[in-house]
Amino acid sequence: MPSTDRSRRRGATRGAPLVRLRVGFVVIAMVLSFFGARLVQLQGMDPRSYASMAAAEGAVEVPLLAERGDILDRNGIPLADSIQGKMVWADPTLTEDEAPEIARLLSDRLGIDYFRTLEALRGRKDGSQFEYVARRVPSTLATDTVAELEGLGYEGVGLEDDPIRDYPAGDVAANIVGYMGTDEPLGGLERTFDAQLAGTDGVATWQSNSRKGVRIPLRESTIEAPVDGEPLRTTIDRDLQWFTQKVLAQAVDRYRGESGAAVVLDTRTGDVLALADVPTFDANEPTEAREEDLGARSMNLAYEPGSVEKVLTVAALIDAGKSFPRQRFKVPSSLMRQDRPIGDWFDHGTIRLTLAGILAKSSNIGTVLAADAFTPVQLVDYLQRFGLGRRTDIGVRGESPGILGAGEVMTSQAKDRVAFGQSLSVNVVQMAAAVNTIANDGVRVDPSLISGSATTDEGVVVGTDVATRTRVVSRRAAQGTARMMERVLDPEDGVAPAAAVPGYLVAGKTGTAQRVDPECACYRGTSVSFGGFAPADDARFTVYVVVHAPQVDGGGGSIAGPVFSRIMGYVLGRYGVPPTGGTPSRLPVEW
Amino acid sequence: MSSPVPQPRLRVPRIAQDAVDRARLTVVPRTRSRAPRVPFVTLVTVVLVGGIVGLLLFNTSLQQASFAAASLEQQADALAAREQTLRMELDELRNPQRVASEAQEMGMVIPTAPVFLHLGDGEVSGVRAPATPADALRLQPKAPVLPAVLAPPATVVEVPAAPEPAAPSGRDRVRRGDRANSARR
Repeated sequence: MPSTDRSRRRGATRGAPLVRLRVGFVVIAMVLSFFGARLVQLQGMDPRSYASMAAAEGAVEVPLLAERGDILDRNGIPLADSIQGKMVWADPTLTEDEAPEIARLLSDRLGIDYFRTLEALRGRKDGSQFEYVARRVPSTLATDTVAELEGLGYEGVGLEDDPIRDYPAGDVAANIVGYMGTDEPLGGLERTFDAQLAGTDGVATWQSNSRKGVRIPLRESTIEAPVDGEPLRTTIDRDLQWFTQKVLAQAVDRYRGESGAAVVLDTRTGDVLALADVPTFDANEPTEAREEDLGARSMNLAYEPGSVEKVLTVAALIDAGKSFPRQRFKVPSSLMRQDRPIGDWFDHGTIRLTLAGILAKSSNIGTVLAADAFTPVQLVDYLQRFGLGRRTDIGVRGESPGILGAGEVMTSQAKDRVAFGQSLSVNVVQMAAAVNTIANDGVRVDPSLISGSATTDEGVVVGTDVATRTRVVSRRAAQGTARMMERVLDPEDGVAPAAAVPGYLVAGKTGTAQRVDPECACYRGTSVSFGGFAPADDARFTVYVVVHAPQVDGGGGSIAGPVFSRIMGYVLGRYGVPPTGGTPSRLPVEW
Repeated sequence: MSSPVPQPRLRVPRIAQDAVDRARLTVVPRTRSRAPRVPFVTLVTVVLVGGIVGLLLFNTSLQQASFAAASLEQQADALAAREQTLRMELDELRNPQRVASEAQEMGMVIPTAPVFLHLGDGEVSGVRAPATPADALRLQPKAPVLPAVLAPPATVVEVPAAPEPAAPSGRDRVRRGDRANSARR
């Protein structure tokens, strides 16, 4: 049969079917065992690294930066805000050859140093592939510049998100608001409330196959949305803050003071409308300022308040029923107390002053005589209720609580000095809040800098929501004291006519205190101050001004008084408070 | 072991003989379907091809949309950045320092005390006092005073005055005349 012949012939070339089958099985088994081994290697040995390698192939991961919360003034105008910015980086392996050309264009457009740019483009280290060229460049400028570079055919310069913190008003409230370092807050509210302001960064990942990061549809993509920081609203009024700073700076400069501070309080709510420090700095350029100017001296520096404190002593005396405005005192030219004489700032023989006269003429001797009705414990107790000796906790970093010795261990000499404002120390807001108590009919309102409430980095909740009110002295005592304080500004009987605001009834008190010089730990120079409120018969604002170590001769009335007058006049007009038309105080100062 | 009872099964055919006869299977005559096959095949083909092409188009349009989304996103980013830059410029324009400088240049001064005009009765309260240039704030800090080492007194060189020529020479006069002529021209 022909067919059998054919098959036999074929069999001869391919071997017997059984042999073929076996050879086939062996081949298949070998191939499968290779597959098996590879499978064990992929899945058994280190599956994760392969999985992540697969995911990284073509994956784009973009950090989504949270926007830092703004710091706002009381009207919602930003004192600090965040805007999109870019960092410009270079890959020196690509830019090295054309470094001078690229550097020239970059330094022209971005306003950066040519030589440092050149250095970055050539690589600061060998083999480096990433160098910062500029940071915090406004977004539009950066994109335009890089587009221009690409148009000219230069490669190797790229952009990355890098938000800019901007302080639109520069030095306005800089001492309170603080400033940012390269990546973290370094001072002020920025640092204290960083947890609230910072927010949380997110991240987006997707698969892409192009250089521009266009995502491949229907492939895995995840977005972890960033949580923007919460804005922080302060009680500061930006324009008033600016005005306060300028007026104060002018006075500090004119009298060659070492530093100065001023605060404006809303009498009824305790809101800090302005808190100025001089010298100050530009928050956009903190590195150009002296380091000691970067903090808030108004809160960090404790000083002896001097005679402004007398109003607290006098209000306490009236409240305790131990004195009254018309009470008569014979004030000698000098008063021996134990080992040391107490004198007045002006020479006089024995004069006959009322309590109002003691305040109007700022007599230390008279105050000491009046305060003899108090034991140290009683006096210190009142002063503590006025808020002295403890922090105001308005949210400013490193606040000094001041020093107020305990009444139980206070000697009578120390008590005498405390009664007229020496041998105790305060910070500016403490003292302003104490004077504000008299303005607010004897009820002390906690001052606040934060509108609403916020938590500091020490975990303290601060703000208007948690401010409390406590009655310190009776309404009658507060109003009596205010009537006496009006006499301080009297052109004939008072010591500070320069503090008057034309048309308004103003109550105030001067202070010229001996100042402790930390270098010699002795009294050297003075701290001159003026605290008061207006309109005196229905107070709306309390202003307190202090100038430290002026080198021109002068007291609280002549140096701080005009500053007070200017600020008070401005704030009354700004908030539309017309004169009350009340009758001025006619309390007798002498008898 | 066999059962003595006769099998009841055997009786059934006898009873239902007719039915069994009738139920006997016969071959069904083969019928040919008259329905044409072409439309069905065409339909299936069209559905298949349509599906594939549709899927392709859908995929393409997705890709296109993705590109469009990317470019729109970029545009949105650019616009957002532009808006922020403008807002920053606006904030700088609203800076009280700048506003005050401009106002002061125009001759405006912040008054020392406010005066109120009551619109109801036209009455004025407050003390009317003119705001004078003396009330103006110094807006820029003074330049820092340099230490003596860095600010040496200016060197003044006194040059003895040259003797004045008694009368302009003729040549001078000519030149001056020339200049006047050229100016007129």
